[in-house]
Amino acid sequence: MGFLIRLPEVARLGGCAAGLLAMALAGCGSDSESGLDASTLAGLPWDSVVERARGSEVVWRLWRGDPAINSYVDEWVAPRLAERYDIRLRAVDGQGAELVNALVVEREAGARGGADLLWINGQTFHNLRREDLLQGPWAHALPSAAFVDSASTIVMRDFEQDLEGYESPWGRVQFALIYDTLRTPTPPRTVEELGRWIDEHPGRFTHDQSFTGMTFLKTLMYARAGGVERFEGGFDEDAYRVGRDSVFSWIEAHRDDFWREGNVYPSGVADLHRLFANGEVDFSMSNNENEAVTKARQGVLPESARPLVLREGTIANAHYVGIPFNAPNPAGAMVVADFLLSPEAQLEKRRPEVWGDGTVLDLDRLPDRWRARFDAIEDGPRAVPRDTLARYAVPEVAPEYHERLQEDWRRHVRDGG
Amino acid sequence: MSSRSGRFGIAAAALLAAPVLVGALYAAAGALGLVGPGASGRPSLARAVRVLTEPTVVQGTLWILWVAGASTLLSGTVAGGIAVVLRGRGKLEGLGRGLAVLPLPVPHLVAAVGGLLVLGQSGLLARVGFHAGLIDGPAEMPALVYDPLGVGLILALTWKEVPFLTLVAVSVLGTRGDALERTARGLGAGAGDVFRRVTWPILWRGMLPAAVAVFTFVAGSYEAAVILAPSDPLPLPVLTWERFVDAGLARRADAYVLALLGLGIAAVAVAAHEIVRARLPGLDGGSQA
Repeated sequence: MGFLIRLPEVARLGGCAAGLLAMALAGCGSDSESGLDASTLAGLPWDSVVERARGSEVVWRLWRGDPAINSYVDEWVAPRLAERYDIRLRAVDGQGAELVNALVVEREAGARGGADLLWINGQTFHNLRREDLLQGPWAHALPSAAFVDSASTIVMRDFEQDLEGYESPWGRVQFALIYDTLRTPTPPRTVEELGRWIDEHPGRFTHDQSFTGMTFLKTLMYARAGGVERFEGGFDEDAYRVGRDSVFSWIEAHRDDFWREGNVYPSGVADLHRLFANGEVDFSMSNNENEAVTKARQGVLPESARPLVLREGTIANAHYVGIPFNAPNPAGAMVVADFLLSPEAQLEKRRPEVWGDGTVLDLDRLPDRWRARFDAIEDGPRAVPRDTLARYAVPEVAPEYHERLQEDWRRHVRDGG
Repeated sequence: MSSRSGRFGIAAAALLAAPVLVGALYAAAGALGLVGPGASGRPSLARAVRVLTEPTVVQGTLWILWVAGASTLLSGTVAGGIAVVLRGRGKLEGLGRGLAVLPLPVPHLVAAVGGLLVLGQSGLLARVGFHAGLIDGPAEMPALVYDPLGVGLILALTWKEVPFLTLVAVSVLGTRGDALERTARGLGAGAGDVFRRVTWPILWRGMLPAAVAVFTFVAGSYEAAVILAPSDPLPLPVLTWERFVDAGLARRADAYVLALLGLGIAAVAVAAHEIVRARLPGLDGGSQA
């Protein structure tokens, strides 16, 4: 029987090898070194959690594609964690579905966890929860959680999913188109006006294929199929079909006037920014309303770039940090999550010259000195005023809408083009 | 080859192949629905049949085969030409060979970004054309990136592969060509005959393994394709990654099928090379004379 290998063993072996190849894991093992998981730690006094975290390393897997975010994490967050908690923060690249795939492979391989903390939201949270790949509940136990804007459905509902203590809020953003005041002094303000503008300016508009582009299509879906209310309350097949068809009919009506006649779409929003900056198209877009300003500051976009919020409403959502099921250091991850949520770290992140990421804190819950510092932040004349953002903010709906719209757009619009 | 050295060679080859074989085994198990999210645990070919018959997959596969074939042919031709022209021992030829292999250390990713910056509709060529009065704006520049024929991708990959094939071609001619060509000339063959009957057969036969390596590399290459290829058809490597990171967990098993398809293309290319090598006389060097 020595040469016979049962299938689960083959799968385990394969998973381990795939994990080794894909993620350069340290090795295959069966047990985490965590000792106590995050939900158990959440029941301990906070000082005890901090003591367990002291002197440890926390591996944080997050998207590393933006120099401003990298700089905030590496040069502002990490040194303070080292100084105050003796925690070595190691930020490594990874996002969205990659995180889920990595954890699935690690679980199948029985591998030691490669990360302690993950930057997640939406579908990723949905899939991680469905596959039972997150530890929790723990987020409620963070001292800084007392400041979170718990009345906000945008913060406390991640694509209509209850957080249930399995992820801790980190930031909040809102979708915006980006235009150039020199090229487009009077930009369209509604979906209908945008359609007319596209027809009058052939080849000057497109959207990307990734998350941002799909968020734009969802904005269209809300606007053209009865508003966000029609899609709230969980996934509804009939509502989806009506919404999808209305989006596709809008695209078909204007597609010939899209960039490259709608036969080609930029793969990601960075490509779209490049086309916009080089004058190939007149609009870009972002899930962060402040990106036009921060990217102009970095020299990626022109100085005259401005964010634009459509009057039918644009999608606002929050992003979070979670602790994977096999995190070697959940105590360290909780301390990092708490620091990220602290007024000090949220304020720094909020500054337009740093990142410009919205806060998830309720300013009314903060001590006066912190509230005053938040109030003193100057967004500058190029940013969308905060009351305008709030007026036109609409929430995310169930993740299935995003998933299905992306799949159908690929099949019927992109691949069928 | 002694049996001892043979065993050592097999062991070394097995060590190299092991990660691929184990990965392929895992991918096969995923494709059959035995492992991964949403796995039923019962083997089924339904997913493989569905994925492999999707028009998107067929078109993406044919497209990357076209790009790989064209890039290999073009880079092989240029490299062979350089090797023939610059094979002498003079300083000028040496300088020429050195310049020709200069792009060798440039990563493929950088080559692709370079291709975008030069060939894009707002790239260097377009800007030169604009200042020369040839075009009035980016839209008038012929689409050389994200284009259905993959012109930009083929040119970028050709630029990147020429140095490697040039090194091989120069080496082949240097080690096998000189003596045979001298013999042919001594027997009264003219320049044309020497090239047709000696230089060319040595060159293409010697370059064939390297050309197969270039073809299989390009056919499976993601980083250049994702930067320069169109979104329709989506090249097989990009499509594979897209399915692997799909928001729908169940669709991710599609990527296992596509990964096996990519592996199959490479295997067929290598097998075809072995068959050609076995059937044509003189491919193992020197014996054709």
